[in-house]
Amino acid sequence: MTQISNDTEFRTALDGLDPAQQRLVAARFVENVVALCSDDRIARVIQVAGNSEASESELAEALKTARATTFDCHTRCGSEGDWTEQEGYFVARAAVAALTPAGKMPSGPAWQAALSSRMAQTSRSIVTGDDTAGQEGNQQYRILSEFLDS
Amino acid sequence: MSASLDRGLNAFKEQIDAPVAAFFSSCVRCGLCAEACLFYTETDEPKYTPIHKLEPLRRVWKQEYTFWGRLAKSLGLSKPVSDEMLTDWETLVYDSCTMCGRCSMVCPVGNDIAYMIRKMREGMAASGHAPEGLIGATKRAITIGSPMGVKLPALQAQIRHAEEELGFSVPVDVEGADYLLLLSSMEIMNFPEFISAVARIFKHANVSWTISSEAFEATNSGIQIGVSEIAAELVQRTVDAVAKLKVKSVISPECGHAYMAIRWEGPNLIGRPYDFKVVHILELLDELREQGRLKLSGKESQRLTYHDPCQVSRRGGVVQQPRNLMNMVAGNFVEMPETGTMNWCCGAGGGVSSNERADGLRLKAFNRKKKQLDAIHPDAIVSACSNCRIHLEDGLEEYSMDMPVLSLTETIAEHLADSEQAGSKA
Repeated sequence: MTQISNDTEFRTALDGLDPAQQRLVAARFVENVVALCSDDRIARVIQVAGNSEASESELAEALKTARATTFDCHTRCGSEGDWTEQEGYFVARAAVAALTPAGKMPSGPAWQAALSSRMAQTSRSIVTGDDTAGQEGNQQYRILSEFLDS
Repeated sequence: MSASLDRGLNAFKEQIDAPVAAFFSSCVRCGLCAEACLFYTETDEPKYTPIHKLEPLRRVWKQEYTFWGRLAKSLGLSKPVSDEMLTDWETLVYDSCTMCGRCSMVCPVGNDIAYMIRKMREGMAASGHAPEGLIGATKRAITIGSPMGVKLPALQAQIRHAEEELGFSVPVDVEGADYLLLLSSMEIMNFPEFISAVARIFKHANVSWTISSEAFEATNSGIQIGVSEIAAELVQRTVDAVAKLKVKSVISPECGHAYMAIRWEGPNLIGRPYDFKVVHILELLDELREQGRLKLSGKESQRLTYHDPCQVSRRGGVVQQPRNLMNMVAGNFVEMPETGTMNWCCGAGGGVSSNERADGLRLKAFNRKKKQLDAIHPDAIVSACSNCRIHLEDGLEEYSMDMPVLSLTETIAEHLADSEQAGSKA
């Protein structure tokens, strides 16, 4: 039974996955925080990302939708920041990472999706004042361990 | 005449210094500046000719400071600058100019048109003709310390997030550090991974650095809107933080106008030279490279290009450093046509990005960047300005172009030879 307990092990394990596996596990990371995004489009694109039988055109369309959602959610330069909206922005960015072909993301899609999902939780902690953002990493260790054992 | 118009005209008069007078007298109406402006080239509308955007300021100069202009004014033969005229010009000065300075590069008589736009915005702001978005950003910069309203607890949360990822502490308020890192609100809100990237690189290269909890904001909306008093106050906050923490140098982050503000305009705004050095993050990274303190491993195999942020490259002079760094991380680095000091703007600098009214025009002007990219078909774009980054992404989306936009600093951090890809989170 796989037991991942820190980011070094986490990233090493992610690096060992092939592109399709990276996408599938990234989709699970995003699924774990998708409630922080009020835009329904992300829930739909994550279903596509998490489908092992999704076609290339379905994935491309989902990536396009995820990107469009990112632009709708981000705080523009000079505008008054809203951290609740930033939660959604980072979830959308995580979805974009999950759907981006592996070669186009230097740090790897799954790692980037994991980081953006954590940033969504950090944004949540800024809104609530609770220091719970760090727990997302532990949940991702569990998700990846389960994925590797499945 | 309304009080606000009077204030605006007085501000125009105050801004007409020797360079401005010389520039207006030497303009030969050749129109070359039009072909250098993406708002003109992508719309073919003559009103977007850069020198035309300065018409109210030119009119004040002519009527107040030239013999024939004064004579014509006294005889009632020339039109005064009116509130209606300034209303018409507001969109030209704020929506269709990013102060990218490309027009200044091509002027055959050496007129710095971007410098004059900066001056003209002083009068526009004083007369109440500035966009709502910029007014709001400037108010927040003064009252909160960030144009986007980012407060210290939010930065602290982002730093905690970075520390969890890194497995080591990010230095805050460390007295006597060599470098004080400034951050733009865009980085704190939209690209917090920049903080981790810098921390990893500096640990790798053994750089002594800190962030100030009292003056972390790099941007200066006082410059963008055109209110020198506010711009000076924002610069002074950094100067005070430097004195308090006794640091030797300030690092301007991946933000174009922040570099222009703190590096080039700052001393003039506060009226004295700094007793510390200001470097752009890419200048420092290139120094580390030269000193052999930046050891990278592996290169990106995809076709990468570099987008020069106008205020960093053209206005700031940081042109070769990013190319040296690109060659460290890119196995297939390809330049766009008209790059470096003649690069085309992303279309969103100079406060245009905070001005929602300008969105349609900005995206239309992005067609210029599309043409540059179409000439080389890169797999990804690398840049060093978070505002450019988000607006490149926006423009690429608008034109259905599929390529990611990366930060050069973050890409370097990904390739550190002894990269602590993940910390020791237990």
